[in-house]
Order: sequence, then structure tokens, then C-alpha cells
Amino acid sequence: MVIALCSIRVRRGLVGLLALAGLYGAAAQIASGRLPTTVSLPQHDIEGVELLPTYASLAEEGLFLVQAGILLQGAAVSTGRVLAGFLLGSVVGITLGLAMGWAEGLEYVLDPWVVLLRFTPALALLPLYVLWLGLGEAAKIGLIATAVAVVTLQGAYQGVRGIPRVYWDAASALAAAPSLVLRRIVLPAALPQILASLRIAIALGWVTVIAAELIQPSMPSLGYLLALAGAYPRVPTIMIALAAIALLVLVSDGLTLAVYFQATRWMRRRHA
Amino acid sequence: MRSLGTRRLVLGCLSVAVLVGVYTLVSNVGRLVDPALLPEPLARLSRPDILPPTQAIFRALVSLVTGQLPPMEGHHDHPSGHVSQLVEKHVTLQGALRASVLRVLFGVAVGGPLGILTGIVLGWNQAADEYLHPIYVLLRSIPSLALITYVMLWLGHGEAHVLIPIVYAVFTTVVIPTYHGVRDLAAVYVRAARSLGAGGRLLFARVVLPAASPAVLSALRYSIIIAWMTTVGVEMLMGDDGIGHLLVGGGLWSSRLQIGVDPAVIIVGILALAATGYVMDAAARIVNDRVTFWARRRRAW
Repeated sequence: MVIALCSIRVRRGLVGLLALAGLYGAAAQIASGRLPTTVSLPQHDIEGVELLPTYASLAEEGLFLVQAGILLQGAAVSTGRVLAGFLLGSVVGITLGLAMGWAEGLEYVLDPWVVLLRFTPALALLPLYVLWLGLGEAAKIGLIATAVAVVTLQGAYQGVRGIPRVYWDAASALAAAPSLVLRRIVLPAALPQILASLRIAIALGWVTVIAAELIQPSMPSLGYLLALAGAYPRVPTIMIALAAIALLVLVSDGLTLAVYFQATRWMRRRHA
Repeated sequence: MRSLGTRRLVLGCLSVAVLVGVYTLVSNVGRLVDPALLPEPLARLSRPDILPPTQAIFRALVSLVTGQLPPMEGHHDHPSGHVSQLVEKHVTLQGALRASVLRVLFGVAVGGPLGILTGIVLGWNQAADEYLHPIYVLLRSIPSLALITYVMLWLGHGEAHVLIPIVYAVFTTVVIPTYHGVRDLAAVYVRAARSLGAGGRLLFARVVLPAASPAVLSALRYSIIIAWMTTVGVEMLMGDDGIGHLLVGGGLWSSRLQIGVDPAVIIVGILALAATGYVMDAAARIVNDRVTFWARRRRAW
């Protein structure tokens, strides 16, 4: 029964995606030669632009980008930045969030600063980070880490605050040591919220890295490829860069979702 | 209860006061002591172009709000190029914030209904969900800011292409909570309404929409923050006005990051961004609580 349902879902999903791909192909074929090829930008006009590239030119461009190693290198650099920022930010965020949820005094002390960072778009910090940490990797990784830390902090904090009072009372009645409380109560109880916030955080990390690479394009990376392709402009490269970004976002989202489901299996009730 | 609130207030204010005090001290250390005598990390920090002194931040704030440069007083406190450039172009903090907030409101006003509509269709009609959900997931995976280079080629350099990423970001944010609000609606409600003879429009207007409205409203509230982030990003890249442009004007290919920004302006901008974001979120929270007061009871279970 379940398998049959799944297969209908999968089949219909594929039909939807294929229909989209077919529509795009048809539109590109019809449009090629008919759409204007001149684009006017504030500084100058650009000619020979293929606004809707056909699959043929996408394949040609994709082959070139892969063979030249540009695409893979860019993807590796961007992914590395996201991972580094994600690790750093989630460790800091989860630690602070757990501590804030546990110790009320700390919560009150840190609260104004958390609110400040929560409502500040992380990108606004980029100029400051570039000033403080230089134009290199540290500024970008720091930016991603900040965005990730704010989200995971909230997740961990809410996870701890959601622990029923009975658990705390039981722990203190049995005189459990703080390390035991952390391992047996706080961490397991806050885990679902933390993992859910990690899923949001990784998506935010990707948004942040692409924007940071667009705003300050320096090293070979996906955002840089996008900025470069937009400046020339080479539409097939833009499309391929967008597709590569979407693919990486999908993969990282799928991975965090899989971890979430694996780790929270005990929570789900079995349905009859 | 009251003492708890007081403790929170006291500790919060104390925390802000201590950090501002320490910051003022550290950022002014170069004036108090001869910079040559300081150990290395402190000497670098004490440079005003790295860590602007608190009074410089305050002066930048005054200049940006009044739109006038402070009178020259002789000593080395003259305003930075960044501030005087902005003042020359008649850019004020409140004007920039106004432009950005209007963009956010536009994004929520256009992207919100589109997202709600899509969410309702996907949540209500299982076949539509099965056909269209993968496409939605694919779209959602493209960061809104990544779109701007492509959108610009179609629409040229104008307001439309600043607004489209914001609308897109709000749209993709609102779809999923609406979808879950409609799809996971308690089957009991639908069955009860159906057995009483309600169907079609009546069922939809009196059962489905009210039951989904808390989810929809909280999604809209969350989308304001998403729109706020996107707006600042787009303005940093492409805008001709707005707070992102105030921070790093110049656009995608001649970003002021290469020319040099005044950190005092950035800090003023960040404080203004946080305050405005907080106010918008608080307003949305108050509206949500008013509209869905009836839903609060259920949460207590």
C-alpha cells in the first residue's frame, strides 16, 4: 500500500518536472532568434545575449564549464565555505542556546544582543567583517557562522525551554549531577528543535554565501561565477550556476532532513 | 512575577551598559595612551577606521539623520568620506529606511497572497500537490538574491528587478506553512462540516480558511524578516536607494567595499536595521495575536 502510494507520488512528481523541462525547451526553441539580443545596462548596451538559452547551448556551455574545471572548483569553494561557517556557527549557537535555556541569568544578559542580531540581516555585517578580518576567507566564513549561530541559538534555546518541568524536578529530586542532566535530559529533549534549526541554518548558510560572493566577488566560487556571468553577460553560464546552486541546496537540505528523521525516529507514534 | 520581569530588565540594561562602556574604552584607547606604547592587537583595534569610537558613531548618526555635517572644530574629528558623500547626495537614515520598508511591504503585499494561494491549492488538492510540489521545491532551492543577475537582463536596471527577488523570497516562505495549515487541518472539522451538508465554497470559507489562518499569519510574520534580509541584500547589490545602498552603495560591480567604508556608518546602519526589523516584527505579532486570539486556547493543551 505504502509503496503503491509512493510510486504514484514519484511518478506524478516526475511528470510535473518533465512538463516544466519540456515547456522550457519549447519556449527556448520558439524564442531563439525572436527575442531581442541587445540588453541595455546603465553603463553600456550589450549585444548577442541569448535571453532563453536552448538546451543545445546550455549543454555546450555546461561541457565547457565542467571541462575547464570552473564549475567544480567554484562548487567546491562555496561548499567549503558553507560547511566551515555551518560547523563554527552551529557549535557556537547550540552551546550558547543551551546555556541560555539552562541559566536564566545568562539568558537575561545575552537577550539584548540576540535580539539585535536576530533582526539584523547578516549581510549588513559583511562590510564590518571585511574591515576587521580582511578580504579573505575569514570574513565570509564569519558571516555564514553568524547567520547560522543566530538560528541554531534560537532552536537550542527553545528546545531547552520546552522541557517539561517534571523532568527538572525529577532530576533535582534524584540529585542528578549537571553533566548527567545535560546528557540524559537537556540534549535528548532539545535535539529535535536543534536539528530542525540546523535545517533552516544550512539553507540560510547557502543564501548568505551566494550573496556574500556576489557582493564581494573575489575568489573562484559559485557566486563569483554568477557575478561574472552577469557582467558579461553569458546567460547559459548564469543558468548553469543557478542550477548548480539549486542542486547543492537540495542535497544539503536532503541530508539534514535525513539526519533529522533518523535522529527523531523515537518521537513518531506508530499509526494503526 | 514582577520581580522576574525587573530582574530581566536590570540584567539586560546592565549588559548593554557594560558592553557599550567597554567598547567606548577600547575604541578610545588610542587617544588616552600613545598608540606606540600599546601591545599589538590593541594598537590595531584602537585605529578609528577599524573600531570607530562611540562618539564618532553618534556623530555619524546625527549627520545621517539631520542630513548635515557637524561644524568643523579644528581637531582630527572631521567626518569620513563615506558620511560626507552620503550627506552630499542628500541621503538620510530615515529616508533610506523608508525606501527599504516600502520594499518589504510591497514584497509581502504581492508575494504573500501569491504564496497563500499556492499553498492553499497544494494543500487542498492532492493531485496538484503531487504534480507541482517537486517544482516548488526546486524553485525554493534557488536563493532569491542569486536571481538578480538573470532578472536584470530581462527587465533592465530599475525598480522592478529590485522588487522581484523580494517578492520571490516572500512567496517561497509563505507557501509551506499555508500548505501544512490546509493539508493537516483536523479531518474531524471537514467531516463534521460535510456531514452537516457544507460543501464547496461554504466549507472552504467557514472551515478551511479559518482553521488555517493561524499558520498563514505566522508565515506572513516570518516572511517580513525574510523580506527584510532580502531587501538589504538586493539594495547592497543593485539599489539606488534604501538602507543597503547606504551601507555599501555603488552596486554590484563597483562596490564601495573596494573603496573603503566608514565602520561608524555601518554600525549606525546595523542598529537602525535591527530596530526597524524589531518594530515590524512586533507590529506583525500584535496583529496576529488580535486576529487569532481564539487559537491561543488550543495551544495550552
